Amino acid sequence: MTPPPPASLLERRLVIVTGKGGTGKTTVAAALGVAAASRGRRVLLVEVGRDEQIPSLFEAGSPPAGYAGREVHPGVTTMRIDPFEALGEYLALQLGLSAPVELVLRNRAFRQLMEAAPGWRELITLGKVWHLEQMQASPGRARFDLIVVDAPATGHGVTFLSAPRVVVSAVQTGPLRRHAAQVEALVEDPVRTALLPVTLAEELPVRETEELVRKLRNDVGITVDRVVVNAVLPRPFPAGLEDLDTRLRRLPEATPLGALPAPSVLAACAAHLRTRWELHERWARTLAESIGLPCVRLPYLRDGVEDPASLAVLGAALLADLPTETT
Amino acid sequence: MSASDFARAALLNPRVTVCVGSGGVGKTTVAAALALEAARRGRRVLVLTIDPARRLADALGVAALGNQPEALPNAALAALGVPPQGSLCALMLDMKRTFDDLVERFAETPETRARILENPIYQHISEALAGSIEYSAMEKVYELDEQRAYDLIVVDTPPSQHALDFLEAPQRLLEFLDSRIVHMLIHPAFVAGRIGFRVFQRGARRVLKLLERVTGIGFLEDVSEFLLAFEGMSEGFRERAGGVRALLLGRDTAFVLVAGAGRDSVQQALQLRTRLAGFGTSLAGVLVNRVRIWPGGGSPPELAGAQDSLGALAAALATSEGADFPAQAAAQAALDAAAGYAAFARRDARETAALRDVIEKQGSYWGAIPELADDVHDLAGLARIAHAIFASEGDGGREAPHAGEPHARTVPD
Repeated sequence: MTPPPPASLLERRLVIVTGKGGTGKTTVAAALGVAAASRGRRVLLVEVGRDEQIPSLFEAGSPPAGYAGREVHPGVTTMRIDPFEALGEYLALQLGLSAPVELVLRNRAFRQLMEAAPGWRELITLGKVWHLEQMQASPGRARFDLIVVDAPATGHGVTFLSAPRVVVSAVQTGPLRRHAAQVEALVEDPVRTALLPVTLAEELPVRETEELVRKLRNDVGITVDRVVVNAVLPRPFPAGLEDLDTRLRRLPEATPLGALPAPSVLAACAAHLRTRWELHERWARTLAESIGLPCVRLPYLRDGVEDPASLAVLGAALLADLPTETT
Repeated sequence: MSASDFARAALLNPRVTVCVGSGGVGKTTVAAALALEAARRGRRVLVLTIDPARRLADALGVAALGNQPEALPNAALAALGVPPQGSLCALMLDMKRTFDDLVERFAETPETRARILENPIYQHISEALAGSIEYSAMEKVYELDEQRAYDLIVVDTPPSQHALDFLEAPQRLLEFLDSRIVHMLIHPAFVAGRIGFRVFQRGARRVLKLLERVTGIGFLEDVSEFLLAFEGMSEGFRERAGGVRALLLGRDTAFVLVAGAGRDSVQQALQLRTRLAGFGTSLAGVLVNRVRIWPGGGSPPELAGAQDSLGALAAALATSEGADFPAQAAAQAALDAAAGYAAFARRDARETAALRDVIEKQGSYWGAIPELADDVHDLAGLARIAHAIFASEGDGGREAPHAGEPHARTVPD
């Protein structure tokens, strides 16, 4: 029996983007946001790292959006969840008053204690995401149609996602268990939530992605229905000219070529593009075969990704690659 | 020796070279290449890696997590030009084990040791206390440096979002052990009477009680238990952490910042440089990895006018490849490839310009390592990277391991 085709990313409520450092997962998260917004969705982008990167993808030098969040593009709001702020918000809600909580949270010694306490950051961050998912603009209408979380780099990503499950299995009763169970239900909901791993078509990130997919299948009940292979180089020459660099190398170096570089330089350029392309093809194929999931290829953009227009190009590729994607 | 050569030599001169950089820039490869180059210069070198790619780990002979240095076979090294007095060992760090070793060393009694190792807080602390994993890497470096079995230890720092956590970790751990809240937990009577503390204490108790109630976990008990056990060994630990810090900030250690050529990577490298300076570390140089450099050197040409010369190229190809070869299409494809690669090279030069400027101004070495066509996954590949970094130095006569590979661009004299 063939598995059903993956649902569109646009049908999700929560997409958690993860990947090794340098794979461009933050860019992919932002591109998904732009693409979804252009199809009428109200999108929230969430960062969890210390330094915000998303605002400057939309406008160079743009200030951080912080915990309060800011609209950086029509229909796209971005924010950073600071675990201490989220903890303060949570405790104030639980206690019903915020003054003593504020006092304690600002205390340096208390913060040091919390630095050493395991697991709570992940839990409170996901708790805040759950809270945002529940928010309504008006009765029956969600504040955000799609929440895209730029999760920690893989490895940490798995710890991040298993926090609610760990709490549910370790804690028998009480409000924390109840809340963690709600968060777990969201994270593991195969309809509302998907994890989107991002990789490059190179050895290290491909191996790490294989490892991640294996771990997720065993440890965390989150749905992974596709993997993004980012920055894939295009085929460098038309079909039939695959050995172009070899042929260029056969030309006598002294051949007069006018404004063109010398044959050896032409050959070196062609050889470089061909080998890098072959490498990308090889690792993209290896990945697709080993994980048995659709791999969405995003093109390498020669001029970089640093404005809404280039994000839109990537976002369109992200949604267009699978035939099931419709608006 | 030019000023640039001198600055470059500083990459290998100290007893410890620490490679730092954000994730995905190729720190491991660069660290291993620097180590190989030092071995070729006759030094006894250890490279300490954290998470190498599988094939590179195999090449270095560190596939097993032994937490002990493994020597690379002499024959393999000799083939790459390592003289008999030089050697290269590699170690893949087992971070958890290093931290456990530390506890074993400083625990006064077997009971204390067991109490710490079995404590749930300890089980988490190496992950939870940001940077303590990174710290254990530096702890290992300190231990190995003290043995004086190596002339140079090259360290590949852990992939972490906060690439410099390892520098802060010793201090943070000590601050935590010294902190008032810790003392309050261990000796509530000691601080209970202090004026100004009561407000905090009341508030803290309230929040901690709430946390306990909400979590249902005996968190405070575990912390107290852990700290009581740890207290006995904190003196030895403190001394040791001080030693690690002194080594990292001292004259015998140099930092090499490894960066990628992309905009984000350069941005992160600039931030890292500022933070490194804030710690008072010595930055020997920046190596930008995987830079697209125009073959044959110099700036990539503008190829806008080259369309008119395609006829000459097509004619030459038709002559050498025969009449059946689609020479016209091939000439166009060759021009497109050259124009495409020239655009890459221009982009990389443009994106790294700001970083280069800052580094040159402060007198550190700036080098660009050309992107090789294939992945580096064996010793020969490492030798090619080492050659790319060091080849233009005035040590003529050494065979290029891979002819035709462009050299690292150096700071003009």
